[in-house]
Amino acid sequence: MWSYTLRRLLATIPTLLAVITVSYFLLHAAPGGPFDAERKVSEAVLANLQAKYHLDLPPWQQYLYYLNNLVHGDLGASFRYADWSVNDLVAAALPVSLSIGGTSLVLSFFIGVGLGIAAALKQNSIADYLVMLVSNLGSVFPSFVIGPVLVLVFALWFHWLPAGGWDNFSPRFMILPVALLTFINVATIARVMRGSLIEVLHSNFIRTARAKGLPTRVVVLRHALKPALLPVVSIIGPLAIGSITAALVTETVFSLPGLGKLIVNGAGNRDYTLVLGLVVLITVLAVTLNLMVDLAYAALDPKIRY
Amino acid sequence: MKYSLLTRLACSCVCLAAALPALPVLAAVIPPGVQLHPTQTLIRNNGSEPESLDPAIAESVGANNLDRDLFEGLTATDATGKTVPGVAESWKRTGPVTWVFKLRQNAKWSNGEPVTAQDFVYGIRRFVDPKTASTYAATFGVFFANGQDIALGKEPIADIGVKALDKFTLEITTAFPVSFLPSLMSNTQLGPVNQRAVEKFGKEWTKPGNLVGNGAFVLKEWQVNSKIVLEKSPNYWDAKNVPLTRVTYLPIEDGNADVKLYESGENEFVYQLPPGTYEKYKAQFPKEIRNGPMLGLRYYSYQTQNPAFKDVRVRKALSMVIDRDILAQRITADGQAPAYSVMVKGIEGADVTSYDWATWPMAQRVAEAKKLLEQAGVKPGTKFTFSYNTSEYHKKMAIFAASEWKTKLGLNVELEAMEFKVLLKKRHDGTFEMARNGWVADYNDATTFLALVRCDSDQNNNFNCNRKAEDLINQGTQQMDEGKRRALLTQATKMIMEDYPIIPLLQYSLPRLIKSYVGGYSTENPMDHYRSKDFYIVKH
Repeated sequence: MWSYTLRRLLATIPTLLAVITVSYFLLHAAPGGPFDAERKVSEAVLANLQAKYHLDLPPWQQYLYYLNNLVHGDLGASFRYADWSVNDLVAAALPVSLSIGGTSLVLSFFIGVGLGIAAALKQNSIADYLVMLVSNLGSVFPSFVIGPVLVLVFALWFHWLPAGGWDNFSPRFMILPVALLTFINVATIARVMRGSLIEVLHSNFIRTARAKGLPTRVVVLRHALKPALLPVVSIIGPLAIGSITAALVTETVFSLPGLGKLIVNGAGNRDYTLVLGLVVLITVLAVTLNLMVDLAYAALDPKIRY
Repeated sequence: MKYSLLTRLACSCVCLAAALPALPVLAAVIPPGVQLHPTQTLIRNNGSEPESLDPAIAESVGANNLDRDLFEGLTATDATGKTVPGVAESWKRTGPVTWVFKLRQNAKWSNGEPVTAQDFVYGIRRFVDPKTASTYAATFGVFFANGQDIALGKEPIADIGVKALDKFTLEITTAFPVSFLPSLMSNTQLGPVNQRAVEKFGKEWTKPGNLVGNGAFVLKEWQVNSKIVLEKSPNYWDAKNVPLTRVTYLPIEDGNADVKLYESGENEFVYQLPPGTYEKYKAQFPKEIRNGPMLGLRYYSYQTQNPAFKDVRVRKALSMVIDRDILAQRITADGQAPAYSVMVKGIEGADVTSYDWATWPMAQRVAEAKKLLEQAGVKPGTKFTFSYNTSEYHKKMAIFAASEWKTKLGLNVELEAMEFKVLLKKRHDGTFEMARNGWVADYNDATTFLALVRCDSDQNNNFNCNRKAEDLINQGTQQMDEGKRRALLTQATKMIMEDYPIIPLLQYSLPRLIKSYVGGYSTENPMDHYRSKDFYIVKH
């Protein structure tokens, strides 16, 4: 397994290079540049600005310059936020996104799996219908509807929690955004878990286990849970990426200084270095999470060995 | 540059008027009987994360708001938009293009060092230095002797018309008579910079702990995209008249999130109400709603070189039939005023012109517009493209305009929404037929708006050039006599507007919510230049 892990990690390098190259040239091909603004700058000032950010070099030289800096751990200077480097911006936003996304993902996993099991075991009962109702609501209502409702109820009506903002990982500011992301993720996980467990419970090996007289608790926890978790584990990767890096709506509704807003603003501002830096980060996260999912498969399914 | 005897005589009169002693009241004006709250802190949304706190680089409204608290120029703007002394306690126009500013000797940097004339020389040289690459270098640099050429890298920065006569006396030489120089100098881009701090910390000089400012507040904390906290500077020369002890700036861009924070009490100053909500919040918070006109213009640009709009009669016809009253009252409905000129109300240096037809009944305007289109050979059913950047607000306005042209003139408009950067590129390159546009004054003088329609101006997106008007503008800007200058610039404006290079639509307003206990805010500040030193918290 170790050699497999190492091979997968090494395979990240060409993947990363391909992603950077495509993103780099796509970004530069997009119409409008970082210095296009309502106030058009004169040709001379534009030349100075371009020289300051090395945009006066031929594209291939800029590209190599970027790669060279990247190898040395430097993501470059931000075009939009002149006082900060991309490293600074990522270092400030990543912990926010990780804490909100990570907490909600852990919570969603346990709540979603728990609800999925309950619904599967009590199929077509009130409990099942309730879980499916919650699950459908979470899927049907978009986060830009649920988010403001949470703010309305908990911040404006009851004044229990702040309407938004961020204050050094203070739990008060984290509860509502974590709740929103958890609700949305639980909806998906519970539905997948329910379906998967129902299918496993109808398998021959479960029938055998029951025939042997094992109690339901043992049948479920020891025999059915592991194979039923496989589909859940496979959706955890994309859910995690979504919760950590693409939580733009959550960040906007709750005014959080996370990665999602940086990405969208970076793209809108043609902040080439910022967007590329975030692309690198997301690629690394995606590759790592996918690897973790694959390793989890091996732990859950004895048929899979690397 | 040589000036006649008459000009010099005129100057001596103006110079006397321009010699200004220190005003008695400079800081927060607290009405008698008002009891202050024991905690003097304010949380205000700033609309976006500043691109920089370096005054030479600051470009956005948000960054300049912060810099007005952290730095102080020779002059400043009070809450009612008036120019008041800043570091300079008095100034005098000593010649058509020369001004002498006397600096107060008790002005200090936040580290306790005195603010000297040399700090201004350094700040302004650094600002126009091509190496700094400030986007405002040419906009403001043009007013200083050799400033334009320095910003373009054609002359050394030492040649800028700014000189320290002694430790506390600064002489400024302008490139041409600039009667509004005192007001211009309130921009912190033209303020002092602490050379030692810049050289010691390099790119990091604007970070908390490093930033040395001379404003009423110091930088305490900066969490990117989260908040910036400023605290009252004990070394500020007028600290005893600064009521607030702490100001927290939020960078919230989303208008709805801004209002929600306001309603929950975590924000006391909404940057700008979301589009379409003004009437609702006016009814909900009648004591907290504030809305004042701004020196800003919403307009549509023609690409006058495009075959579709080469004919001035077509441009005139399209402008005539848009009902600005309905647009202001029913479509945008946020307190903006109809506009018929490139000049807006409140601007200094020129009168707000208008068109004769602006007062005609709409039926008469439509009949005239149809006649003009017929003369120009434009038939009903003719199609053109209107480009705008994706936004509900701009879309609403564009749909209204398109329906006016369709229903009144039978013209078909293809609305083309795009990303803002794409629209900017199209406008700068001239690859559009008609496009949404907007402009907010950089300084309070007619020339800031004339830049939109002048020949060879970087800001001219319509590609129209009226050489006769250009001559009048050049004559006007060389005038010492304010009345003559005004008349010439007004005449030029009228002449250009008859070319119909743009469709002026609305004068910007700034609808906000501000807690009723926040004192010192005035809706008569058309540049939206507020300093936190003018605010105070009433007991509540």
